[in-house]
Amino acid sequence: MRKQDMCAIIDLNEPSEALAPLTDERPVGTMPFAGRYRLVDFPLSAISNADIRTVGIFLPKSSRSVEDHVRSGQAWDMDTITGGVFTFPYVATRDYDDPTNIHRYYDNYLTFLIKSKSEYVFITGARHVSNIDVSALLQFHQASPNPITAVYRSVPTATANPEQEAFVLDADNEVVDFAPSKDVKERVSNHTKPISMQMYLTRTDYLIELLSRVQNSGKFIRLPQLIHQEITTAQANAFEYTGYCATIHDIPSYFQANMDMLDEEKFHSLLFSQRAIYTKNKNEAPTYFAPEADVFSSLLGTGGRVYGKLRDSVLFRNVYVDHDAQVLHSIIMQGSRIGNGADVEYVIMDKGCVVGPDVKLIGTPEAPIVLKKGTTILDQSAAEEVLQS
Amino acid sequence: MLAMILAGGQGTRLGKLTRFTAKPAVPFGGRYRIIDFALSNCSNSGVNTVGVVTQYQPLELNAHIQNGASWGLAEKNAGVTVLQPYASSEGEKWFMGTAHAIYQNIAYIDLYSPKYVLILSGDHIYKMDYEAMLAYHKAQHASLTVGVLPVSMQEATRFGIMNTDETNRIIQFEEKPKHPKSNLASMGIYIFNWQTLKKYLTDSYSTDGRMEDFGKDVIPAYLSHNEPTYAYAFHGYWKDVGTIQSLWQANMEFLEPDNPLDIDDRNWRIYSRNDALPPMFVTSTAKVHRSMIVDGCYVAGEVDHSILSQNVKIGTGSVIRDSMIMPNAVIGKNVLIDHAIVGERAIIGDGGQVVGTPDDIAVVGFQEVLGRMEEDD
Repeated sequence: MRKQDMCAIIDLNEPSEALAPLTDERPVGTMPFAGRYRLVDFPLSAISNADIRTVGIFLPKSSRSVEDHVRSGQAWDMDTITGGVFTFPYVATRDYDDPTNIHRYYDNYLTFLIKSKSEYVFITGARHVSNIDVSALLQFHQASPNPITAVYRSVPTATANPEQEAFVLDADNEVVDFAPSKDVKERVSNHTKPISMQMYLTRTDYLIELLSRVQNSGKFIRLPQLIHQEITTAQANAFEYTGYCATIHDIPSYFQANMDMLDEEKFHSLLFSQRAIYTKNKNEAPTYFAPEADVFSSLLGTGGRVYGKLRDSVLFRNVYVDHDAQVLHSIIMQGSRIGNGADVEYVIMDKGCVVGPDVKLIGTPEAPIVLKKGTTILDQSAAEEVLQS
Repeated sequence: MLAMILAGGQGTRLGKLTRFTAKPAVPFGGRYRIIDFALSNCSNSGVNTVGVVTQYQPLELNAHIQNGASWGLAEKNAGVTVLQPYASSEGEKWFMGTAHAIYQNIAYIDLYSPKYVLILSGDHIYKMDYEAMLAYHKAQHASLTVGVLPVSMQEATRFGIMNTDETNRIIQFEEKPKHPKSNLASMGIYIFNWQTLKKYLTDSYSTDGRMEDFGKDVIPAYLSHNEPTYAYAFHGYWKDVGTIQSLWQANMEFLEPDNPLDIDDRNWRIYSRNDALPPMFVTSTAKVHRSMIVDGCYVAGEVDHSILSQNVKIGTGSVIRDSMIMPNAVIGKNVLIDHAIVGERAIIGDGGQVVGTPDDIAVVGFQEVLGRMEEDD
């Protein structure tokens, strides 16, 4: 495949309310993950590994963190002479009462697609964390009859989220409709349901034609809905992704996905496969483990210092865990500090938090305590205050 | 000011570690290669045009430096250029010595017409502000300023020693003197006024061609011609890692939390080219103490007072003690590594033993394979 043959659209407008306060200042797509990454690294790496060098990123309301992370796209080899990263600003839905704005909405997509000179386009979000082989998806699409291919994964009926979007498949394994998974029949052979990963592949000229048609009709339909409509009126090929996948839709699912990375099989499947996951590089010093450090079953970023005890936890870059402190079953983001003798269990700490000496913060697996970016808790009474609010 | 980093040395005393790579490309401190210190010092000192002179086994060095972007040196009309010997109509241009290497690259330096040229060696571990040294050079109206390190009188016998007058002007240079008169050791760091140096070099090569080496030839010529030559004293951590023993020692010092090199200082960062690797995984069978570990590592064994570089794997039941493991090395299960340096991409099979002593560090070479792995379960 030539590098211009395929382009990608990453739409970062994804539901984020259930992830507050972690999403107060960032979209789901830039949530830190597994000690090193942001969720958007996964789609960016997937397209980079498929030799895609042209990507359109549709920005969410809070786009500062996206711009800061993606920059020129150099980490994913997107800063080439033929391709590049093209960003499109967020426009509030209410503004689409104005016909010129509706027109512009489609123009953004059309301009990008026409200029890409690509034959195919891969459309994805960032909340389904996976390591998909987009080249294999393309081959599957080329061998399939329908103009659109949609991606799913098989989730055991027992663990499937009843509200999550699933495929209604016909006898030929083609997608004919979408429904919440609770309303979709399970596959008898393996007791699973085909859960949508909200990733699609189609011919670029087909999508251009589709978008132009709606643009001329003057109606406002967002691209994801448009693809849905198109699939339900015609039908789509269903491509099954079989690797590790986690859908980040609320705090427990985010917590669990990070904890999953402490499972060696899942860690290797997502992060150590043939298809590497790339991310913005930082120059941090090595992480120092003190003589009294007591660490196991944990992931750590660089630049940290560990003097205390660490179990079943995910630490990002530049985190300090002081003497006699213990951190169990927790996610500690970049630049946070855990003071002397502090006890932190089932806690998600956003960037730059400080927990003072001897403070106890104990959450539960079902409801981990979440500290918002930059929270400082110097003593136990301050901790109680934060837990109340 | 333009910098020329002399990175052509083989580092023969590093033995098996430099069989396939140049000394400046040897890994250090888990995340770095030795040349990162000189390159980062340039970047932090505002020196944004750097020529890296290579000769011996330059492949890894080239792959590491690329366009210099990792050190913030890939700007327009500046940047890093790797300079290798080449053939021309006047014949082959192998570098016969440090000064000869500069002579062979006059065309490169003249591309930028710098007023000053900073000469560095690519094989020292230190943090130094070259801008401050340049300010001193200008204030002294010097033609040449030599970076010097005050050492003990005993050590002085192992270095090139600068004898100075009360104004820091160098009046005599002695190579490894038996009875040193001063303790100011040359660090191999020089700031020259480019036009003057160029004249000395071109005059020499159009006549006797004796200006091969800075220490042996150029400095004595400057002194005998009364060129204003000054010593600039550096008072920080500085380590020559030219031997297995000193490389191991410097890595062990790097492990100390109060190491004067202060690698965590965010105002003087040491940059390196890093691959995007997963975070380090310390498994439920691991024990890690007094150690430094970086991304891409997978640790299932015990690591005590050691450094693991990028992408190192340590199997279950293995013990790594007082050692430095270089990038991409794979250590199997139930291996003992004690007082050792394990080279890049080396493989130590299950049950292997690499045991040295504090005075005789064991070495596993670059890509060396010892024993074999049993079937993975």
